[in-house]
Amino acid sequence: MDATVAPIRGEITEIVGGLSSGRTSHLLACLGEVVARGETAALVDTEEIFDPASAAEAGIDLRRLLWIRCAGNRDVALRAADMLVRCPGFALVALDLGERVPRLPTTAAFRLKFAVRRTDVALLIVGRRRLTGSSAALAVETLREGIEWAGPGPAPTRLARVRTTTRILRARQAASPRQASSWWSA
Amino acid sequence: MERVSRFACVLVEHFDAAAIERCEPALRERPLAVVNPQVDRLDVGRHAAPRGAQTTSVMTTIEANAAAREHGVRPGMTETEARARCPMLSTRPRVEEYAASAHHALLEAALAVSPRIEDGGAGLAYVDTAGLERLIGDPAAIGRRLVHQVRAIGLIPRVGLAASRTAARMAAVNGPGPVTIVPPGRERATLAKIPLTTLALAPDLAATLGRWGVRTLGELAALPREGLAARLGPPGLRAHDLALGVDRDPFRPWTPPPFWEEAQGLDWEIDSLGILAGVLETVLERLCRRLAAVSLVADSLEVRLGLASGGHHARDVALAYPMSEVKPMLTLAVLDLEAHPPPAAVTRVAISAHPIRTQAGQGGLWQPPAPAPRDLVTVLARLAALVGADNLGSPVLLDSHRADAFAMLAFSPPSDHHAAPVRSGTSAGGASGRRLALRRTRPARRVEVETIGERPVRVEARLVVASAGPWRASGEWWDLQAWAREEWDVVLGDGALCRLARDRLAGHWYLDGFYD
Repeated sequence: MDATVAPIRGEITEIVGGLSSGRTSHLLACLGEVVARGETAALVDTEEIFDPASAAEAGIDLRRLLWIRCAGNRDVALRAADMLVRCPGFALVALDLGERVPRLPTTAAFRLKFAVRRTDVALLIVGRRRLTGSSAALAVETLREGIEWAGPGPAPTRLARVRTTTRILRARQAASPRQASSWWSA
Repeated sequence: MERVSRFACVLVEHFDAAAIERCEPALRERPLAVVNPQVDRLDVGRHAAPRGAQTTSVMTTIEANAAAREHGVRPGMTETEARARCPMLSTRPRVEEYAASAHHALLEAALAVSPRIEDGGAGLAYVDTAGLERLIGDPAAIGRRLVHQVRAIGLIPRVGLAASRTAARMAAVNGPGPVTIVPPGRERATLAKIPLTTLALAPDLAATLGRWGVRTLGELAALPREGLAARLGPPGLRAHDLALGVDRDPFRPWTPPPFWEEAQGLDWEIDSLGILAGVLETVLERLCRRLAAVSLVADSLEVRLGLASGGHHARDVALAYPMSEVKPMLTLAVLDLEAHPPPAAVTRVAISAHPIRTQAGQGGLWQPPAPAPRDLVTVLARLAALVGADNLGSPVLLDSHRADAFAMLAFSPPSDHHAAPVRSGTSAGGASGRRLALRRTRPARRVEVETIGERPVRVEARLVVASAGPWRASGEWWDLQAWAREEWDVVLGDGALCRLARDRLAGHWYLDGFYD
């Protein structure tokens, strides 16, 4: 996991980016980091995009992951995330809002922030654009930088790896470094 | 040294009223009369009953609590007469379920003190206290323990301890405080001054003894036994034994039934789940207090609702872990009834629990924090109500190469901190994982793809900038669900990096998802 994308306990972290920018890979890396410590994580999956095979290949112990599928209903996803962050004991609650991020009233974002602080849960929100505004302690943007292909002949037969960059959009505490790159194996 | 057998009698006075006060604690300080509305009386006044005389339903007092008795209310009075004596009187009809539940709870509370108890009838339990001295202490400590246990289930008892059950009962009825102890060998002297009416003898026998001038148990005990046998027969001898404080009946141990139940009959019909939740909470509180009194927890619940239509609506509520807390039980029961509502208005609520005994455990010092079972089961039930039980759980990969082959299991994180078996070719731990994730489209969306040769060049009018493939796979060709596909990783003109799959059996193209 990048040093720039480290969800903070008791705070809201946001990862924003376009399709194929690497935000979901960062999400899986965060989940893997948590469950590798023996802690429990939850994923609220708005558009049912989570791929258990990718997660298993990333080394995630799926037994410690609670997966909630919301069938595209964003209101339901927000309510599910709200319930989960009020339940003490989860180390990380991830909310994947997908491509169409709804508008969240400022008061709702503040309520979410205080609920997260009270239970000391790390809330990680992934989407096309930011959701919680100034309530987030950390917001990073992911960008794709390059692609490498693999194959025995001149025509590639398989995607080899993808390079992404993360850039900090907002950090309540001074973060170092402000930008980092990662390679992700396919 | 001769072993002195000792018994305790646990008595709840005015039991029908106490059973109602247990369900409605607000009535405890107020005058309360239990009435039986089903007594029909001929409305004939002082004259002979005319042919075809009508009967009217008369509310008759069958029990009164201590506050009502201070105002002169007695069993047998009509409700009108009782109200004339006590204008502030509250009345409640007798509910069989209340009395049965309270009596059952009383026996269980006694059982928590001694393994040998006897059911003495409504509001009465006898406890064999032999051997409890070493466990609890002197007779006073045993009496206090019994009072504490019975108070914990919402009843206020009087306890007597003596060498016989009869003497213990007399001590409980006539003792000055909540616990009365009759010293060994002092039974006859203690009982001597107690009025004969305490024995509740048959009316004709009591009348005969009254005519003889016998007023107290001491006077009855002083009568010659042979003479009593000749004049009054076996009932007279039995009364003499009672006056002496001698038990002739064998001790009949009581054992609890295999399941625990609390019930509440309703005077009104409930057709709203919100109001029904209040009744469920009351019943669960009583049930949980009973469980807690004997250090048990519930493994599962059965909620049975009597319906106004005459039928029943029964639901088994599975508890994710053994518990004795009311709030999570109530949440689970209400969420289950929300998902499976009763078909008609509810007139009776009964909840039974399957009790088990658990041992307290302590988490490891280095064990990472996890949601408490109580919190977890509640939030899972709420989430299941929100998104559906099928959309909630932990994914588990199936032993198949078919795309997106997984199943959902109920979420139950392991308590030990051992890593899951890692698939070959994967890296354990997220820190070094760095695997590219696929955002799946479910179900896989069928797309129109233009190809040159077999290589895709355009996907739904979007230009393919780069592509890699084919990556062929097939499986289950030995079965009816055979599949064969080839995968292509393509970069589209707008920058999206996606995985396409061509079904080699049908020839269709599908969008598996986007690498992200």
